[in-house]
Amino acid sequence: MAKYDRQFYPGTTVPAKNRKRFMDPKIKLEKLRDVAMDDVVKILGHRQPGEDYRSIHPPLEESNEPDCPIRQMVTPIEGAKKGDRIRYVQFTDSVYFAPIIPYVRAWMYMTRFRGIDTGTLSGRQIIEMRERDLEKVAKELIDNETFDPAKTGIRGATVHGHACRLDENGLMFDAWQRYRFNAKKGEVEYVKDQVALPLDKPISVGKPMSEAELKKRTTMFRVDGVDMRDDKEVMMTNLRIHRLRTLAGYQPWEIKGE
Amino acid sequence: MKGASSPEVTPLPEIMIMPSRMLSADTTEKLLNKLYEVKNVRQINCQGEGLPDMVKQGPAAGIPVNHPERKTINVKGKETQLTILVGRVFVEIDDIDHVQIALKEIEEICKGLLPFGFDLEVGRYSKFKPTTTDYAKKRC
Repeated sequence: MAKYDRQFYPGTTVPAKNRKRFMDPKIKLEKLRDVAMDDVVKILGHRQPGEDYRSIHPPLEESNEPDCPIRQMVTPIEGAKKGDRIRYVQFTDSVYFAPIIPYVRAWMYMTRFRGIDTGTLSGRQIIEMRERDLEKVAKELIDNETFDPAKTGIRGATVHGHACRLDENGLMFDAWQRYRFNAKKGEVEYVKDQVALPLDKPISVGKPMSEAELKKRTTMFRVDGVDMRDDKEVMMTNLRIHRLRTLAGYQPWEIKGE
Repeated sequence: MKGASSPEVTPLPEIMIMPSRMLSADTTEKLLNKLYEVKNVRQINCQGEGLPDMVKQGPAAGIPVNHPERKTINVKGKETQLTILVGRVFVEIDDIDHVQIALKEIEEICKGLLPFGFDLEVGRYSKFKPTTTDYAKKRC
């Protein structure tokens, strides 16, 4: 029997291929910018740069955890070893060809990161994680190709805007105006953290991508981009999942011959 | 309440301008002033995304938002506080016979001010007579 090679996502169209790329942990995502770690910490707003991590339990080395097979099997992530608090970061993705969309984020997080709890909503995706690991993950997600300064927002609350039309500068609407377009530099700057507390100085996250570039990188099927119906394999898989769910609920293996 | 024999209230037509982008305060000001110059325009209503003056929840509650587009604009010489980022504009025309001429003029204005694209539609999009709720809440 041939060795099973996980495909992550069906299809041959650009969004399908990008979905595959984002989900496959063996593929290193392209780094498009380098936002300083201290700036990421400021945008997250959970602690000041340089401040100690607060803990909710003693380091695992010092605590007398009972011996169990699960503890032997699972290597704790760094923050868990040190007893860090659980903190969060939340990204909002515009429907106007943001590079990634919440559901694909969930799939990608599951394949690429350990020690996370993630939740999907229509326009946003939250990750909860131990604080020091969260900061690393947030930096990675801001620096790499899944982030576009204009079409992706870092928003802890009042995330409304993903389905609104863009503003005249091409930025996704944000009622709390956490970021603004610096016309002189052509860059997007964060002036508030993710819950809208003002920052001491603006943090640049770089230039927005052009629409052509976004369409190359997007994971979004849209009728004015790539229609999902044009990708036969994706449609076939989705219809199969739908059919099995309709016929058998959560027990698709009970259906024979489908 | 009017009797059964009373004539139906005829709604006046509206031209809806749907820009492809949300409009900045400056563009809104220019657009509204130009629209009011069009003949037979009776009134203009705007709709869009709300811009709160204060953060109302979370750790930043009570802090001013300072949104750059929430500002006072001058429409027909009158200072008006803009509290939304304008997404749709409804231009009410005083008679159905004047719609075609107004539509042409409005299209020209939009071509000049909205380079990112727009759609125009004719219809009636807002309330033109009191509803049952208005009667129940004694708003009329």
